[in-house]
Formats: sequence, C-alpha cells, structure tokens
Amino acid sequence: MNYTWQWQLIWDFRQVFWRGIEVTVMLTWWALLIGLVLGLLLGLMRSSRLKVLRWPAAVYVDIFRATPILVQLVWIYYALPILLGLQMGNIVAASVGIGLHAAAYIAEIFRAGIDSIDRGQSDAAKSLGMGYGQAMRRIILPQAVRRMVPPFINEFATLMKLTTLGSVLAVNELLHEAENLINNTYRPLEVYTVVAVLFGLMIYPFIWLSQRLEQRWKKSR
Amino acid sequence: MSDAPPVPPLMPPLIQVRGLHKSFGKLEVLRGVSFDVKRGEVMAIIGPSGSGKSTLLRCLNFLEEYQSGEILFDNVLVGYRNDPSGRRRLDSERNVRRIRARLGMVFQSFNLFPHKTVLENVIEGPVVVKGQPRAEAEAAARALIARVGLTDKLDTYPTKLSGGQQQRAAIARALAMQPAAMLFDEPTSSLDPELVGEVLEVMQSLAAEGMTMVVVTHEMGFARRVADRVMMMDEGEIVELAPPEQIFGKPESPRTAEFLRRVLH
Repeated sequence: MNYTWQWQLIWDFRQVFWRGIEVTVMLTWWALLIGLVLGLLLGLMRSSRLKVLRWPAAVYVDIFRATPILVQLVWIYYALPILLGLQMGNIVAASVGIGLHAAAYIAEIFRAGIDSIDRGQSDAAKSLGMGYGQAMRRIILPQAVRRMVPPFINEFATLMKLTTLGSVLAVNELLHEAENLINNTYRPLEVYTVVAVLFGLMIYPFIWLSQRLEQRWKKSR
Repeated sequence: MSDAPPVPPLMPPLIQVRGLHKSFGKLEVLRGVSFDVKRGEVMAIIGPSGSGKSTLLRCLNFLEEYQSGEILFDNVLVGYRNDPSGRRRLDSERNVRRIRARLGMVFQSFNLFPHKTVLENVIEGPVVVKGQPRAEAEAAARALIARVGLTDKLDTYPTKLSGGQQQRAAIARALAMQPAAMLFDEPTSSLDPELVGEVLEVMQSLAAEGMTMVVVTHEMGFARRVADRVMMMDEGEIVELAPPEQIFGKPESPRTAEFLRRVLH
C-alpha cells in the first residue's frame, strides 16, 4: 500500500471543519434540551401511580425506541408539513427529531433512576408532610441523579453522534461539511479521520468528567 | 409509664380507629380493627410477623390507603372526605400532608436522607414543609440532636453512623416537626443487639415527657416497662388490648399466651 497522507490540505480547509463543529454543537445543544425536558416529564409520567399518565408515556417511549431515527427525522421533516402544514427549517427539524428520539431514552434513564431509590426515602419524605413535588425535588431526584450520570453521559455521547444524521436533511453539521469537502478534494481518509478525532475531542471530556464525579460521590458516601 | 399531666376528661382520644379494613389485592391484612389512643398514652403493638402491625401503623398517617372503616386523628378523618352525596373520596394531598406533618414516624430501616448531614436531615421538615427560617430551624435542630446524644455528629452523613446513631437521628428528624404523636415501626429490629438500648432509652425519655406514642415492637421488655397499654395482634385482628400487667402477667387470650411463650421463653 502506498498512500500519501495529505494533512496540509485539511489544515487549509480548517474553516470548513470549524463551521461544521458550530452546527453540530448547536444541534446537540437543542436536541439535548428538548430530550432532557421531555425526557424528565416522560420519566416522571412513567413512574406515576396514575394509568392515564403512565400509559401515553409508555407508548411514546416504545414507539421512539422501536423505530429507526433516520425514518423519524425524514418523517418529521417531510411528512409533518403534509399532515399538519407544519414546515420547519432543516436545522430545527433535525434538533426536534433528535430531541424527541433522545427523550425516549432519557425518560428511561430518569425512570430507572427514580425506581432505584428505596421506597423508604419517599415514605420518610411523605411522613414529614412533604408533597410529591417537594419529595421529588429535595429527596428523590438528588439521589437518583447521581445514579443517572453514567447512563446519561452515555446517552449524551450517542446523541452527539446522532447529529450526523442531520446530513440527510442537508443540515451543515460536521459530517455534512466533511462530505462536501470530500467531494471537492477526493481525500476521504484524511477528512473522515479528522471528523472522528474532532468528535472524540468533543465527547471525551464529558466521559472523563462523569468518571471523576462517580469517584467523588463514591468517596463521600 | 408516662407521667403526663392529666388530660381534661372531655378531650377526645388523639387517635380513634373504627372498624378498619385493609387489603392488598385479595389478601386481607386488617380485618376490622378498632381502638383509641389517648393523649399522652404510649401504646405498644406486638404480635407475630405478618399480623398486620406495621400496616396498621402505616394506615395511621395514610402511607397506606384503607378500604373501609375510619381513622380519626384529632377528630379529623384521615385520608378521605365524604362528598355531598355521602360517598367517600380520597382527600386532597394538602389535607393528608397536614395530618402527616403532625404525626412523626420512625422506620425500621431509619430512612435517613443519605445525601444530607444529620443536621440537614433534621431541619429538612421544618424548613421545607413548615417554611421555618433556616436559622431558627437549626437552633431547634441542634437542641434535638443534643437530646438524642449526637452533637458530635451534626455534620456527619448517615452512612458514617452506626445503626443506633442513625435511628436516634431519625427520631430527632421526626421530633423536629413538633408532632402531636409519634409512630414507631419496629425501630430497633434492624439494630445490632448492643445498639438497641440507646434507642430505647431515647424513646423511654420521650414517653416520660408525655409524648403520645404508638410503637410496633418486638422488644417485650420495652412494652412491659414503658407502654400504658399493649395491643396484641394476630392475622389482622386485635387479639387483646390491655395494660402490660395483664398482657404479660395473666393474658386472657390463649393466642397471646402462646405468642409470648414463643418470644420470651
């Protein structure tokens, strides 16, 4: 094999990667926000005592987990305008699509975290006269969050990588920019390598942070 | 025996239970239980495991719903209200919470909040539920923590405490709400034998101050020494409810006698 790597070329096009990173971070941020808020809501609904709350949440989670995200994205971008007359820009559609998808998984993380807290904790909170909201905020969630950090960081890494699917909606995120670059330069190996490294650099700090947090909490408990 | 100041005769009992029934699905756990707990009275509930003692206690502050009968706490129906047509409905969370805030509860497994220090555990109720200013709550909490002998553990997290220390902190946490009565659900059952005494001592001093207490317990010595009356339960029913001298001296029911023979031998 005789391949000459041409890294200089990558450096010349660094602006392109930078633009891609900006869009990827923005997509990740909005999708994460949607996923977190909706996921917490769904997770609380799923651990509720009331069937009318549990049921719709379960259906939502199952549908979004059982169907491919690629189809979900295409569907939100192309089918919603036909059905509801709701036409979103491609970046918005990608954020919403990835956010709705992530919400299903984040809901499961919240539910499992809440369920993992001993029932005695909510008994004790209730016996002091706390309401559901107070008990959740002050007693259950602060404990559950610690257990949720590792799976949550996992989901975060997945979510950031999923933003590359925005390219099917022609969102100029990192992978899409990279593919355009490849079409112009014919250097797929260098470009894809750099994309992988950049994703690694963006995601790894969070993995590191999560491990540090786990260790700290283990020590203090 | 409590040395409570004499209660005016017209005051109704603090807790009144009438024909209480409770089932978990098809399993009937309480089958028509009726009794009163007077103000300042200490009632011990004994009986074999699975007899419904803990469930009964958990019904008193509505941690468990019940199907029929009624519980009155300070003359207020616990957990339900009757709508205009006379049908029984679940009461609002707000009303249930108001009752719970006045009934302290101590659990077999302590259930301290592990992410909070002893002091934070004790002020949690007053600050969050009663809206007491933090400084005021802390001052009161320090006094209570001193009372249960944990002043040197104020800033310690529960997992660093022995079982006996945890349970004493849990008692302080319940007392911080200034409850009208305290419910104890087998408070010493998960303690190492050498730690039982320190918890019973705290409970005994509470009783001596006139606190109304309902204590589910396997500590027969405590029931005999401290309780004003002892309730013997079996299979969801009250077998016998009498002063300790009778229960432990000459029980009327053969089931009581049989139970005591097995646990005391």
